[in-house]
Amino acid sequence: MPEVGEILKNEVLKGDYYKVVFYVPEICKNTKPGQFVHVKIANLRDRILRRPFSICDVDVETGELTVAYKIVGEGTKVLATLEVGTVCDLMGPLGVSFTPTKDDEFPVIVAGGYGSAATHILAKQCVTKGVLLLGARSEDDLILMDKFEEANFEVRLSTNDGSVGHQGLVTELVEQIIAENTDNKKLRFYGCGPTPMLMALGKMLEDKGYECELSLDHLMCCGVGACFACVVKVKANNEDGWRYARTCNEGPVFNSKDVYYG
Amino acid sequence: MADLTTKLGSLTLKNPVMTASGTFGYGVEYADFYPLSDLGAVVVKGICMNPSHGNPTPRVAEVSSGMLNAIGLQGPGVDKFLNGEQYLPFLRKSGATTIVNIWGKSIEEYAEVAAAMDGVDGIAALEVNISCPNVKEGGVAFGTDLKMANTVISKVRAATKLPLITKLSPNVTCIADFAKTVVDAGSDMVSLINTLSGMAIDIHTRKPKIANITGGLSGPAIKPVAIKMVHDVAKAVDVPVIGMGGIMTADDAIEFLLAGADAVAVGTAIFTDPHAPIKIIEGIDEYLERHGCNSVSEIIGQVNY
Ligand SMILES: Cc1cc2nc3c(=O)[nH]c(=O)nc-3n(C[C@H](O)[C@H](O)[C@H](O)COP(=O)(O)OP(=O)(O)OC[C@H]3O[C@@H](n4cnc5c(N)ncnc54)[C@H](O)[C@@H]3O)c2cc1C
Ligand SMILES: Cc1cc2nc3c(=O)[nH]c(=O)nc-3n(C[C@H](O)[C@H](O)[C@H](O)COP(=O)(O)O)c2cc1C
Ligand code: FES
Repeated sequence: MPEVGEILKNEVLKGDYYKVVFYVPEICKNTKPGQFVHVKIANLRDRILRRPFSICDVDVETGELTVAYKIVGEGTKVLATLEVGTVCDLMGPLGVSFTPTKDDEFPVIVAGGYGSAATHILAKQCVTKGVLLLGARSEDDLILMDKFEEANFEVRLSTNDGSVGHQGLVTELVEQIIAENTDNKKLRFYGCGPTPMLMALGKMLEDKGYECELSLDHLMCCGVGACFACVVKVKANNEDGWRYARTCNEGPVFNSKDVYYG
Repeated sequence: MADLTTKLGSLTLKNPVMTASGTFGYGVEYADFYPLSDLGAVVVKGICMNPSHGNPTPRVAEVSSGMLNAIGLQGPGVDKFLNGEQYLPFLRKSGATTIVNIWGKSIEEYAEVAAAMDGVDGIAALEVNISCPNVKEGGVAFGTDLKMANTVISKVRAATKLPLITKLSPNVTCIADFAKTVVDAGSDMVSLINTLSGMAIDIHTRKPKIANITGGLSGPAIKPVAIKMVHDVAKAVDVPVIGMGGIMTADDAIEFLLAGADAVAVGTAIFTDPHAPIKIIEGIDEYLERHGCNSVSEIIGQVNY
């Protein structure tokens, strides 16, 4: 399952956001929307853990796998310095994928931050072209809108500071979409982004009875279900009403009805 | 090929490399990577009587050359482990030599778990994790009190005929004393070291980096401490010693063997590279060949002072 991947491209996307392309034909062949790769970043000294990144795009023909990442710490800082030709060890594709939309469904992707990376392949593969609701603190944190437009998705933006799009929360755009749906299209929601946003989204849609999947990620070690580091609460048939599920192999994609919001 | 067969008392392993409990799940998680039967043994994550949630999150934090964890002992409980498809029945089918790591909140629970494992097909040995708090005694870890360590192992010994490995806690002043007392209590061998108590703080939020506040340190950062403790213990007791703590490469493993370990376990390294145990087996073989040794036993304890 691990595959050595040569870096073919590594460049700034916007501000602190970068995009890196690895040559990993085997991983590309098997990738489904919402899955991730677990990357051992080359030249990262004194660090032992791999870093998980959503698979943003794959080209099965050329064997190219794209990851969009933000510099947040030592690992991503070093990743940004790696030159073309450097090799990293990748494990993947890992995790549970999104359920594709059926022909009679209308996909609504709700994303925050790098959540647009995790849902891009999904948008590309959707038969019915839907809408992306992308939210962030400010314009600087909105990425990949062009990729969704290329995939024929309508893109609506929201920012907390109002620097672009709707000023406020992305969940307010969700309300808008639901209100606009006067012809009763069968909406299917997909969420990926910061945990508080996903919890708000999941709860709201559960109350309204819509189909929704959430990609919940958490700090990871092994990436394959062995260490129980990456857990989130899901509903369970026990006296507490919940159990800890591993996001790396029981997720990261969960049905919003299974998530425990208590 | 040198002879890698490793005899630990009545337990015979194909080679001296096993997985460290808690870092290899229940084996099934890594079954797609290589045949589990290629390993000396698979040591599963700790099992207690009843299913338990484990600790709140975040449960891990990376630190220089290592990591802190306070996973707590999330697990399926004895019944599910023995009968659930993805647990022991899977390991049995895989042909792996399986060692079950057990723990309890009380002495009675340890004995109860050990008794439940006794005589079960497919279990080669028990490893008793005594680094757990004794809930009835104000949360002092069994493995940090000589009397409690002796009592818990005596009770487990009485409950099972399986080969018994006691996993020692390094969070004590003199680990050799603990090795002696558990051997007196009937432990057939000892394994060490479990994680070292540690803590890390996020200076921006001023919060501990793991929800449990403190956690166990593992990885290359602890290797010199582990080597020294293995060296001390191997001198103090006559039973087989399983060494672990920060083994990343075959060279690290060989260092443990030279210090006196009869076998080794690979833990945190599996997170870096799931193939680490296999590479270590190959590397030990190459080292033995290069040094004209026919068997792994020829280098055990052979440190030159
Ligand atoms: C399934 C999954 C998919 C992901 N996909 C992407 C992606 O497509 N693009 C991207 O930029 N990042 C993604 N991440 C987050 C990414 O793994 C972390 O940003 C990265 O590990 C940080 O490494 P570092 O060494 O730079 O930072 P560190 O020094 O390890 O940490 C810096 C800061 O980032 C936080 N952090 C570390 N890991 C995570 C995490 N897993 N989730 C949230 N915060 C974290 C830390 O708490 C700390 O505050 C994903 C995470 C998961 C679990
Ligand atoms: C995530 C994690 C979980 C662990 N869980 C257990 C456990 O359930 N029982 C146990 O006896 N030791 C447990 N350990 C300790 C390891 O088995 C081992 O003793 C320790 O990590 C040192 O070895 P290493 O540096 O090679 O990881 C755990 C360690 C880690 C990192
Ligand atoms: S990261 Fe190890 S169980 Fe998920």
